[in-house]
Amino acid sequence: MTDPVRQPSISRRALLAGVTGLGTWAVLPERGSDAQLRRPAAVLPRAVPNPTASLHLAATDGWVSMPQGAPPISPFWPDPLAPAGADLYVFGFRDVTGLSATEVTAQRGKAQISAPLLGFDQETDIRITLTNLGLSVRPDLTDGHTVHWHGFRNAIPLFDGVPELSISVPIGRDFTYFYRPHDAGTYMYHCHFEDVEHVQMGMTGIVYVRPAQNAGTADVPPGKYVYNDGDGTTRYDREFALMLTEVWAEAHYRDAHIQTTDWTDYKPSFFAFNGRCHPDTLAPNGDPMSAAAGRLRYQPISSLITANAGERVLLRLANLGYQNHTVTADGVDLLVVGKDAALLRGRDGSAEYQVTNTVQIGPGESRDVIFTAPDPGTYLLYDRDLMSLANAGGGRGGQLTEIRVSPPGTLPAQTRANA
Amino acid sequence: MLRLDRGRWKRLSAVPLVAAIVAVLVVPGPSQSTASPPAGLECLTAGDNAFELTATGGYAAMPDGNTIYMWSYAAGGGAFQLPGPTLCVTSGVKVTVVLHNSLPEPTSITFPGQVQVLADGQPAQPETDAAGTLTSLTTTAAANTGSVTYTFTAGPPGTYLYQSGTDAQKQVQMGLYGALVVRPAGHPERENDRADSAFDRDREYLYLLGEIDPDLHLAVERKRAYDFTRYKARYFTINGRSMPDTIAPNHADWLPAQPYGALIHIRPYDPVGNPKPALIRYLNAGSVSYPFHPHGSDEQLIARDGRPAQGPGGQDLSYSNFLIDVAPGQTVDTLMIWKDAEHWDPQGNPIPVPLPSLQDQIVGPGPETWFAENPYLGGEPGELPPGVVQNNQCGEYYHVAHSHALEQATNYGASFGGMMTLIRIDPPAGCPA
Repeated sequence: MTDPVRQPSISRRALLAGVTGLGTWAVLPERGSDAQLRRPAAVLPRAVPNPTASLHLAATDGWVSMPQGAPPISPFWPDPLAPAGADLYVFGFRDVTGLSATEVTAQRGKAQISAPLLGFDQETDIRITLTNLGLSVRPDLTDGHTVHWHGFRNAIPLFDGVPELSISVPIGRDFTYFYRPHDAGTYMYHCHFEDVEHVQMGMTGIVYVRPAQNAGTADVPPGKYVYNDGDGTTRYDREFALMLTEVWAEAHYRDAHIQTTDWTDYKPSFFAFNGRCHPDTLAPNGDPMSAAAGRLRYQPISSLITANAGERVLLRLANLGYQNHTVTADGVDLLVVGKDAALLRGRDGSAEYQVTNTVQIGPGESRDVIFTAPDPGTYLLYDRDLMSLANAGGGRGGQLTEIRVSPPGTLPAQTRANA
Repeated sequence: MLRLDRGRWKRLSAVPLVAAIVAVLVVPGPSQSTASPPAGLECLTAGDNAFELTATGGYAAMPDGNTIYMWSYAAGGGAFQLPGPTLCVTSGVKVTVVLHNSLPEPTSITFPGQVQVLADGQPAQPETDAAGTLTSLTTTAAANTGSVTYTFTAGPPGTYLYQSGTDAQKQVQMGLYGALVVRPAGHPERENDRADSAFDRDREYLYLLGEIDPDLHLAVERKRAYDFTRYKARYFTINGRSMPDTIAPNHADWLPAQPYGALIHIRPYDPVGNPKPALIRYLNAGSVSYPFHPHGSDEQLIARDGRPAQGPGGQDLSYSNFLIDVAPGQTVDTLMIWKDAEHWDPQGNPIPVPLPSLQDQIVGPGPETWFAENPYLGGEPGELPPGVVQNNQCGEYYHVAHSHALEQATNYGASFGGMMTLIRIDPPAGCPA
């Protein structure tokens, strides 16, 4: 997990000027008179340089671990080619920001799933460099890779990562994508090269954009908000991003064993939050750069949700599986405030927030959901498609995690998402 | 022998290729009617709102070379086409649809979302066989030569399916479906009665989504039994076509039975010069949800199942989407624009990262590209590797739009196909004809 390196390149005066402009935006949310003007154009004056962020991702293959003790799916899982401690072949991204060229090359064969969790501030000039390290297990495959920022509204084709419509990155080369996010919310990113294969193989992650309103406006104090809501209704104390995916073990095996797959036979075997299946979902965040992280080293993102009673908890839900899933939380009311990186409000400002206990989320969709942490205790959050609560067909597992609520004041303030 | 440097050879070798592509793109096919738009929704209208449809069989072409036996609705006594014609009427008018049946079994049409449908003057009724088993959801036309006349008053403005109600599991899969567009009275420039549903009438699109299990079609063609527990869709279609056929023009003559394309063709949003959104009407004639993902732009969901997204007091309850999940039988209407947010320009505002040289990028994969090798809208096409076909005419942009249940974005498992199309964005001044 990563917050990208951020280089403050903005003076206090410039920041104030920009924030004033954005404040004007924030108090006029989603209210264009034109049918399509639901978001005013960016109001940052061009004279004010945007803050910048840069990030270096590497794309490669590797081996990860599904929950131990699940019944085998012979001959596909556990994969007999897997090194000790691993059992499933994947493709994935690595965060190699700041590493030397030699160190970056050394990450070949060390893919992680889900991809690094990325968070950026609105109106940041973002450069994401992608290096294609090739595939250690399949040197015969000369696949390119790309970064597709899924849902990004302002990407020109060059930066959209669809190889047929722009370019992809050959093995041993790199390319820098540029993004300037004008719209807060929860997005995804994934490789779009032969996407049915590369997405299934694990090249998926969550990227989110924090609203300019976080700096405070005339109407709302500085804080953590999901959107430029203008009234503080999307404020939260803690945030947890959950990427929903499925793993079709047979296809992973075929990729490792130089066989082809008919994707219309799709039949997933594992169901994951952030690349892990229950009970691994509960394990703490790991360090993908450290062997000490153990069996889940290449699945470093925890799905364990922790909060103090009474706190507002944001769930950033994204689905890059190929099937619909329905997230439910026992004993907790869920307030859906956003879909697909857009505040749920009509063009005339009418609120469309919805209180519910199930959130259905289709492939490629995202939802922003806030709940208030109830009395101290453990609450379950899981996929109400109960067939997804299985690991390789065995019971108990899959897309399930816990919400652990402590007495008020127990946990210190959250410093980063999913922590 | 002429001595030419390698680059010049490359450039020269591209000339006939580009000429051929331009010729294909520019010269209309012989079957292209002057009244047909090259892209976009094509209405079948009738002065008295009376339509004749014939249920008939024929063949649909898949991009991988497979040919599928289908059933669908032909206009009048015309030739087989998939899907049936798009019937366009105005809300409140009396609509008559005469169904003629040339299929070897009874068939029918249901009109989901329309109320009080009459069949031959009587309320349309489910049918049962002698044993009391339900055989049709609605009144049928008899096999081979039967006909039935349905009448109803067009309901609220919006987008509706029409489809077979007889042995519907099989017949709808066979292709007996089409779209019914009901326009608001007095406001054909709107999707519904709300002023904020206005759209550019030259930018109206219909995505009738479906799927094909070729085994079922083969069984029907060979008059064999089919076990629906073995049902497995292998092709995923928009308007009866799969990518790349989806981006071919309407009435492309190499797709004689699949007349409707799905290429979106727009210009960047401009508050003065191009202020109105495109309208996209999604319909799901298949058996699973199709999570449709347009790149490069979100879409405002303004209506579902023929009803505007609004509150009881008329509040606007439309919402923004980058993923439109259309459930079986549902229709969803969205407004869409594309904003040139950054206005990248090689002189005044160049992209802030270098475009890699040709040897540092992969163009394709596959034999074609829709990228001009130039990041700028309207820019001159750059050089391509030998053998790659350039589909870019004038520096226009292309974004993809596809099902994000990614196995549906394949042709029988093969990538960059299936339920997928392109959004073409021309430079603000347009492309020269």
